[in-house]
Amino acid sequence: MTGTVEADLEQFTRGDMQAFEALFREYQGEVYGWIVRMVRDPGAAEDLTLETFWRIYRARARFDPRRPFGAWARRIASNLALEHLSRRRAEKPLDPDLPPRAAACAAPDPAVGADVRAKVVAAFGELPVKLRAAATLAMIEETPYAEIAEALGISINGVKSRVFRAVRLLRRSLEKRGVRP
Amino acid sequence: MNERDKSLKELLKRAAGGPADRELKHDLWPEMLRRLEQPPARVPWWDWVLAASLLLCLLLFPETVPAVLYLL
Repeated sequence: MTGTVEADLEQFTRGDMQAFEALFREYQGEVYGWIVRMVRDPGAAEDLTLETFWRIYRARARFDPRRPFGAWARRIASNLALEHLSRRRAEKPLDPDLPPRAAACAAPDPAVGADVRAKVVAAFGELPVKLRAAATLAMIEETPYAEIAEALGISINGVKSRVFRAVRLLRRSLEKRGVRP
Repeated sequence: MNERDKSLKELLKRAAGGPADRELKHDLWPEMLRRLEQPPARVPWWDWVLAASLLLCLLLFPETVPAVLYLL
């Protein structure tokens, strides 16, 4: 280990494995924490964290050590999480009867009936991936818009627009299912 | 966010079971190291032979290029 993050970044761009290990240990929790907020599946979030660092390692020569490593990592992680959500959606539509996989989050509120919950999950799963990711981060995870914007590489107004469209589509879809929140 | 949006947000949060647990439960470095130490995937020799044959065919019979492009 070289001591400071700045020194590690400098050495990492030159391919130093110890510097990469130091960065990995410093940022793995942060990257995982961000991905799990987006995909809400701990197993997938671990795989995507590894994939994020794998891509970071391969792209090390292009990284400018004067720029913040965390933001770069988070941008790569967000893109991977979006790809994962698209793939998951294409492979298997959300089964509304299934509980959240591997308990990334607490159990659903029992006050919300199973039927309503199934309808909400199904309606939410039908949202376009980018809208769903923005709505998950903003509405369920309560992440500040500025943080979402930076990670997704869009403006704060872009985030607001995605959340607004997600809410509108979700409401319409729920109303079709007989749920009026 | 108006009242209707707030109630939708509440419903969504309750249906989803609230925010995800963001804590990483174990160190991922050993897995990362294993991945880094894996040899890069190699292209089987037979694929090289097929690619070379296709290229040779295209060079010898250029009139087949549109057909190949169409099939791609």
